[in-house]
Amino acid sequence: MATLLPESQLEYAGGTLAGEQVSLWRDGVRRLRRNKLALAAAIYLMLLALVCLLSLVWTPYKPNLIGTCETYALPTGAHPLGCDDLGRDSLSRLMVGSQVSLAVGLATATIVLVIGVAVGLVAGYFRGAVDAFISLDINIFYGVPPLLVAVALYVLLGPSLINIIIAISATGWMDMARLARGQALSIREREFIEAARSGGARAGKIVFGHIMPNALGPIIVQATFVIPAAILTAAFLTFLGFGVPPPTADWGGMASEGLPSLQGGFDPYILLWPAVALSVTLLAFNFFGDGLRDAFDPRQKR
Amino acid sequence: MLTRGTLIYIGQRLLLIVFTVLVVSFGVFAVVHSLPGNAFVSDRVHGNALRILLHQYGLDLPIPVQYWNFLKGVVHGNLGVSLYIRDLPITPLVLRELSVSAMLGGAALIVTIGLGITFGVLAAVRQNTWVDYLLTSIAVVGYSVPSFVIASLGILIFGQWLNNVSHGALFYPEPWTGTYGTLAELSLPAIALGFYTSGQITRITRASMLEVIQQDYIRTARAKGLENRIVIIRHALRNALVPVTSILGPTIIGIITGSVVIENIFGIPGLGKEFVESIFQHDYNVTVGVFTIYAVLIGFANLTVDLVYTVIDPRIRY
Repeated sequence: MATLLPESQLEYAGGTLAGEQVSLWRDGVRRLRRNKLALAAAIYLMLLALVCLLSLVWTPYKPNLIGTCETYALPTGAHPLGCDDLGRDSLSRLMVGSQVSLAVGLATATIVLVIGVAVGLVAGYFRGAVDAFISLDINIFYGVPPLLVAVALYVLLGPSLINIIIAISATGWMDMARLARGQALSIREREFIEAARSGGARAGKIVFGHIMPNALGPIIVQATFVIPAAILTAAFLTFLGFGVPPPTADWGGMASEGLPSLQGGFDPYILLWPAVALSVTLLAFNFFGDGLRDAFDPRQKR
Repeated sequence: MLTRGTLIYIGQRLLLIVFTVLVVSFGVFAVVHSLPGNAFVSDRVHGNALRILLHQYGLDLPIPVQYWNFLKGVVHGNLGVSLYIRDLPITPLVLRELSVSAMLGGAALIVTIGLGITFGVLAAVRQNTWVDYLLTSIAVVGYSVPSFVIASLGILIFGQWLNNVSHGALFYPEPWTGTYGTLAELSLPAIALGFYTSGQITRITRASMLEVIQQDYIRTARAKGLENRIVIIRHALRNALVPVTSILGPTIIGIITGSVVIENIFGIPGLGKEFVESIFQHDYNVTVGVFTIYAVLIGFANLTVDLVYTVIDPRIRY
């Protein structure tokens, strides 16, 4: 409010009207820090990232080593989380499994961000035939269950981490594109775009130099929700058996390995650990995303 | 109600559905037919014998020709025959599985809408109290925790722990028996499936209730001396539901997607289980058939939701 007034008018006899000048960024960070849940989520995610990095160089046991202890061993001092159906150390596998989840989440979010934003902004800026074509594509993709398309793509491409990322990105870009398109449609009518156009700026410069920076707030918030969505889809895929090739550990695959022993009624832990790790991680991403949105996108209502 | 504009709109949407189904089915057709391996691998036939088998099922033709033959069959309601269980007609098989999945999905939809709207309204009415915080937290848990985790915990708690505690008097019976299962067997899968999508509905119901409650006509209703419960249910909720219907489409897609996983956990003989099995068995015809049915289903679900939208909110016209 106060920033609307020129500097000279801010002072009056009783002192200053403006108090402290706060930028949008600092204001957002302050609001984010006041949100305890989002803060806790951020701390958890940082710890998870550390564990993930640590697992690249060190785990208590070799994650794929069979027979480090008895099969279905319950948690003990030497094996804090017990062992799985092949006698592999569950803690080591849980640590290594975080790599797949984080890699899928971050890589998919990046790809979706780049493709979705580019496609959406172009559709929203140029309108007409370009928009009609892109919107038709979006509608066709909305017409199929994303998980099934991801399965089909994954089967076509073959089992690997990269192909999981490709399959999930290919089915997850539409929401981002729709958001970016909407942003572009509204921003392109604003005066500063008209000014840029009358100044002779080319379309590429207008779309990516003027519209994109102003549309970035909601887009980044949306991107933080792409991460948990991608991790969830990846977990579904690997749980169904369309995962990273064994013996590489990942949480969805570990959960599906644990299901028979749970249904057989003799060891729930094999399923419990990856299930808890997945759930807490997804919760943390969602809480953090909520906090980010409340802090940086105040126009959006909950 | 059905104006000319609405009819034209429905026509356009039907065209889009047909187009989508064509694109999707051709895409899947091309994908599965370019996969290495085929359904005859387990027969260990080679050379001429394999060539004869492939010819018998028309698999030696170019893919566009095969697709054309498939389309000709679809027009007659014939999705072809299974390659895994040789010569089993797919159409009756898939229709039966569709009815099982539809039963599960319908139950899950009831759970989702029931939970979502109840929680959303309660959270809004008790805004910023512990009730609100508890219910909105449950909603976030709902769309964060994977449905297979909910399902597994359900099996652990209701299938085993409850069985042990009550000495077998009260427990969740697993696995699924028969084609359609019993009501008790349906309960846990439906809840595990519906819980995920209920989170989003809770969120939107809460937000839109909060907005509606502040409006003047609600104050008027209260000022007239109406009971609070009647104001909330009859006056506020009805208008608050309009934005909720807008996410029914994604909700239904979420349930269909989730059913693939849930059916595989509980061994429910529905479309989702068939889909996964057919891929592992290289049973192309079944995969394509299931995919086509899903595409048709989602197309009509979205169309229905958009039409329901116009009924609930007469201001919306197409």
